[in-house]
Amino acid sequence: MPDPAAARTNRPAADQTADPGGDPVAGPRGGPAAGPAAGPAAGPVQLVADHLWGFLAALRRAGLPTAPPKRADLLRVIAETPPPDLPTLYWYARITLLQDVAGLPAFDRVFDAWFRRGASDDPPIQGEDERAPSPGGPGADDPPPREVRPGDGIEASTLSTHGTRDFGRTGERGHALMRALEAAWPAALPATPSRRRRPARSGDRLDVRHAWRRARRHHGEFIELRHLARPPRPRRLLILVDVSGSLRQHTPDLLRVAHTALRAAPARTEVFTFGTRLTRVTAALSHPHADRALRSVSRMVTDADGGTAIGEALEGFLADPRFVALARGALVIVLSDGLERGDPAPMVRATARLSRLGHRLVWWSPLACSPAYRPATRAMSAQLPSLDHLGGVRDLATALAEVRRLPAVLSGPRHTAARHWSTPHLMGAPR
Amino acid sequence: MTPGPGELAAALAGKGYFADEGLCTAIHLALRLGRPLLLEGEPGVGKTEVAAVLSRVTGLELIRLQCFEGLDSGQALYEWDYPKQLLQVRVAESRGQEAGDLYREEFLLRRPLLRAVQAERGAVLLIDEIDRADSEFEAFLLEFLGDFQITIPELGTVRAGTPPIVVLTSNRTRELHDALKRRCLYHWIAFPEPDRERAILRASVPGLEERAAEGLVRAVQRVRRLPLLKRPGIAESVEWARGAMALAEGGDPWPVALRRALGLLIKDEEDTRLLLDHAEELFTDA
Repeated sequence: MPDPAAARTNRPAADQTADPGGDPVAGPRGGPAAGPAAGPAAGPVQLVADHLWGFLAALRRAGLPTAPPKRADLLRVIAETPPPDLPTLYWYARITLLQDVAGLPAFDRVFDAWFRRGASDDPPIQGEDERAPSPGGPGADDPPPREVRPGDGIEASTLSTHGTRDFGRTGERGHALMRALEAAWPAALPATPSRRRRPARSGDRLDVRHAWRRARRHHGEFIELRHLARPPRPRRLLILVDVSGSLRQHTPDLLRVAHTALRAAPARTEVFTFGTRLTRVTAALSHPHADRALRSVSRMVTDADGGTAIGEALEGFLADPRFVALARGALVIVLSDGLERGDPAPMVRATARLSRLGHRLVWWSPLACSPAYRPATRAMSAQLPSLDHLGGVRDLATALAEVRRLPAVLSGPRHTAARHWSTPHLMGAPR
Repeated sequence: MTPGPGELAAALAGKGYFADEGLCTAIHLALRLGRPLLLEGEPGVGKTEVAAVLSRVTGLELIRLQCFEGLDSGQALYEWDYPKQLLQVRVAESRGQEAGDLYREEFLLRRPLLRAVQAERGAVLLIDEIDRADSEFEAFLLEFLGDFQITIPELGTVRAGTPPIVVLTSNRTRELHDALKRRCLYHWIAFPEPDRERAILRASVPGLEERAAEGLVRAVQRVRRLPLLKRPGIAESVEWARGAMALAEGGDPWPVALRRALGLLIKDEEDTRLLLDHAEELFTDA
């Protein structure tokens, strides 16, 4: 095939990039170092280089840092084959620099501001530095803590109230209970045979590699055999914590329960909170110190004690394929009272889908701690057939009891919550 | 000698793949910079097909590595052929000779990555659905993707004479490691715009009338805007057109055929119900 670089007129690189496609808008507007101050003495090459560096810096400020090798790729491509027009420059930059489609809107904004005047209504980039919205997180009043990945928050609904809340300190007894919980989780988590075989004394397959290595010491005589086994691998644990106003007094303890699970199985646990919006708090909650973890969660969760839109929040969760992948084959635990205002249909639908995705779906409600509780609300009774277990958790002590009950839930048949709650004596004495 | 984006588009179209400007530029840059190309996009937009068509255009062998959880180096790189080694020992023994070095190339079973490195003229290597492999496997891909070399302790380092063209695909079920993404060029394949989808239909469903194709594409584009569990990809719309064609040949009027073949476009019961609720507005001019 003919060489495209040769096919094009071989103008000097700088000449062309300074003025992509003869487009008069690609001037140094907004470029920090490319203003009139740079002066004619700087020359077109310098101007272009400054403009490009300014663009890269703006990307970083917009929450899209680019690694040096990726920047080098872009510069190399531009130097070797000057882009003949603006779309080509756009594709060069996007393909070399962008790493994730989640960052695309932010990338487009910055590119427009630097190379396409009038394509966006944004004010000049210089004035925008501090306010440059991070991808996926526009609308949040305070920037999320550093350990939070952008794109975790789902847009707030109209019901939302914005305000963080202090979750208080953990007491002496609380600490003891949390230690007990942390110890109780591992036995309660379901496991599945790992796909990755490991050498073992006995197993379902011969480890020819090892056995052969040993046999060579005896001139190819197999004196002892080695095996490969599939060690148990814990399934993922997905915890969804309701932080809406109706659970106000329980929220701190429910988050502490989630914290103990994260401590017990850090690599396999994911925690989300939902009220009027969905927030992934796994990273914030994984600080080893419970009170500090709760503090960083409270900074992130701006919808604590607000309205409830369980259905909407769960649908938001299920709309993201990456989140869906977290629920697939996992033990899903929802900590919520299930008091859905308005139409319960979305919540019931979402619960049914969660149940189909997960290994088991367990619902822990503070209301269920009361002996008089019956899942009688429209939403709760409609979704009961999807649940594998409905238990009462309102604080650390009740959580400990429920965690200890999990193995029975996991070994039993699925979708038994409805049966148990229609004949309550099977549940044992509720606390 | 790297073809430019425009020439690539023509060459790919000649093999029945209609790529837009972005994808062509991405392939062009991957060839020029010698970097792996990471493709993401919804299922059914033709990510895997890119590698297949590249192999047809370049005339290089297509080597495919399908990822799954638990994929390990023995399945991706190489494995020693133990039975063969054992036989060698026995044969040597019966002749009263030394078995000699058992870790030679002739006892090596080459798996996809090693084959791609050793391909003399180069190859197109497709690492499909990398998000299905666990993160341990990603870590182990890094050496390979960075320098196109593989270290075999018994033999030393094998370097690619001609670096393979590497295409990775991901369905975004899992966040990939930054280190991996840093080594790759990235392109998100969006659903095709109507013109391109029509061209694809024309090429893959011969005999489809122009007007029918237009209506069908319009309907598919509308269906994709519905809040479905799974939005239909290009593969589905092609299947749908083929199915409807078959039914129409059997005597069904075109609109009826379209509806009866809906199972080829939508493969979820809930989605089907949602679609039937909107059937009027979706299929009025289809």
